[in-house]
Amino acid sequence: MRVDVQGLTVRYGDVTAINDMSFSLSGNKIYGLLGRNGSGKTSLMSALAGYRRPSGSVQLDGLPVFENAAAMRQVCLVRHTADAADKSDKVAYVLDHGAAWRDTWDNDYALKLADLFKIGLKTKAGELSLGQRSALGVVIGLASRSPLTMLDESHLGMDTPTRYAFYDALLHDFMEHPRTIVISTHLIEELSSLLEEVLIIDDGRLVLQEEADVLRSRGTEVTGNASDVDEFTAGLTVLGEKSLGRTKAAMVYGALEDEQLVRARQLGLELGPIALQDLFVHLTEPVGGKR
Amino acid sequence: MKIFRHLNASLLIFCAMVAAGAFVFVLVVTFAVSAFRGIEISGWNVVTSQIARWFLFWMGIYVIHNMLPIAVAHGRTRREFLAGASAFTVVLALLMAVLGWLGFAAEGGIYSLMDWNADEHGSPVAYFLMFLVWCTTGMFCAAAFDRFGAGGIFSVPIGVVLVAVTTVDIPGSGNLPFIPNLPVLLGAGWHAVSVAAFLVALACTWAIARDMPVRLRTT
Amino acid sequence: MFDDRSPIYRQIADRIKADVLSGALKADEQVMSTNQYASYFRINPATAAKAFQQLVDEQVLYKKRGIGMFVSARARDMLRAQGRENFFGEVVDPMVAEALAIGIPLADVIRRIEQHENNGGV
Repeated sequence: MRVDVQGLTVRYGDVTAINDMSFSLSGNKIYGLLGRNGSGKTSLMSALAGYRRPSGSVQLDGLPVFENAAAMRQVCLVRHTADAADKSDKVAYVLDHGAAWRDTWDNDYALKLADLFKIGLKTKAGELSLGQRSALGVVIGLASRSPLTMLDESHLGMDTPTRYAFYDALLHDFMEHPRTIVISTHLIEELSSLLEEVLIIDDGRLVLQEEADVLRSRGTEVTGNASDVDEFTAGLTVLGEKSLGRTKAAMVYGALEDEQLVRARQLGLELGPIALQDLFVHLTEPVGGKR
Repeated sequence: MKIFRHLNASLLIFCAMVAAGAFVFVLVVTFAVSAFRGIEISGWNVVTSQIARWFLFWMGIYVIHNMLPIAVAHGRTRREFLAGASAFTVVLALLMAVLGWLGFAAEGGIYSLMDWNADEHGSPVAYFLMFLVWCTTGMFCAAAFDRFGAGGIFSVPIGVVLVAVTTVDIPGSGNLPFIPNLPVLLGAGWHAVSVAAFLVALACTWAIARDMPVRLRTT
Repeated sequence: MFDDRSPIYRQIADRIKADVLSGALKADEQVMSTNQYASYFRINPATAAKAFQQLVDEQVLYKKRGIGMFVSARARDMLRAQGRENFFGEVVDPMVAEALAIGIPLADVIRRIEQHENNGGV
């Protein structure tokens, strides 16, 4: 499922949640939508799922999604508040809706997943713990088998074994039924190995879209004598710096050329990789910035 | 069609059970009252003319407030849902009118056995139209509040007018203020006014709900 | 498993190469499929596929259409040759630098190596 977003803006009154955003997803990959709390992840996904009329254009396989039956059929968004689960409804009834309304729904798989996550079918959705409610969202999302499946903060409240069960189920089902999956999260470390491509958004804007493995090779931590580090990093994109005495470490973003590597060796600088999680922290607004 | 079928399958039996429960309850109360004094009014008419319309109103709210977001979350358009829901209100109102009528028949038998007196009640058509308009007005008000928040309050006076016109033909459901002569003048033609009220309520619901965002539910 | 600090496909490729070098993977032995690899290590299958493709390009692995990936006959020899090429630059030079930094005369280092040789290369 190809996704094209062009000039998308989402406003709630005076608040601009998504600001003139454009990007495309080529599809059939697992995408990570990374952003801090309030960066616009949920608003963006809601627009992609036809939950609200977009200002700008949102197209799925070339079809505008809002109020378009052919496109809507192909989408499933599970937000952390579980839109498809009324609090007073029993889980079995919640799953009935999916079975009744989704052509692509696999009910056997839904029941299997519910069992895996130990969600009682007779329990009311409102009586589930936060982790179980998240798991119910995962059940709805995966069992929908939608060509575009989006899971918004689906790990919330899940304990570690449950999260790993979720990752395994996600990966397994993705390999069995390849489709476009978008997962939003700010817990990057655990999830990042599952992602093929990453979109980082901040303050309603797209900061970058890149293959996860390319991104991992983009960041370099340069450590050494403060003046040497400064000389080396002049003209490079420096995401962050810290000093200890005369030693300084700078986070540089962007691939380094061979001559730069040679220069680093001449200056006696140490070059090390940066974890995706740290890159994310530095690419989005620093704490104590304008937020 | 899927939406229409699923609404019917999941809600009609529930509504019928509520109606049956109400009938049994009223019967028990009537027998209890009969121990102290003679029965002079139809207990079932109190339910059908007063309580049932509020139940239908609530069903209308439920369909828009609870079911519409679920349908969108399951990849259905608002348009598809509204089409299904509009047809569903007709079926639901019909079912409830038939159940009401069956109730009157059953109650009539019991009353004549016990030698009790019942007051008069309206025609099945009048009940059907009343239920229909109350249900769609519930949908309209729910759509207005869901879409505009507190601004949805504007739907209340409109809703009051819409539901009020349907109560004219039903004894015991309250009288219309200001225009007592007009309904009498129109006679059975008054049903056409109810149908118009239904169409207005439905049109307003569509107009508001077609663009309605699916909001985050507060947990 | 895999850390988040360098491309995962490269880590996978290095791991498989290490297995070939150590003999854990033998010539013409089938390696895990992309999907098996992905589920086992909980990584994206495209990432695993990229690693395998790199190894095919480097002729460490070869593909049998419809069956899977196998270790090529000369993979081990090739990797050993590459290892030999890099050995002095990657292992010996840093060792010498470290020895100098902590004040061990190179003569002592040479003597130690000679001891190993006299003990039969142990």
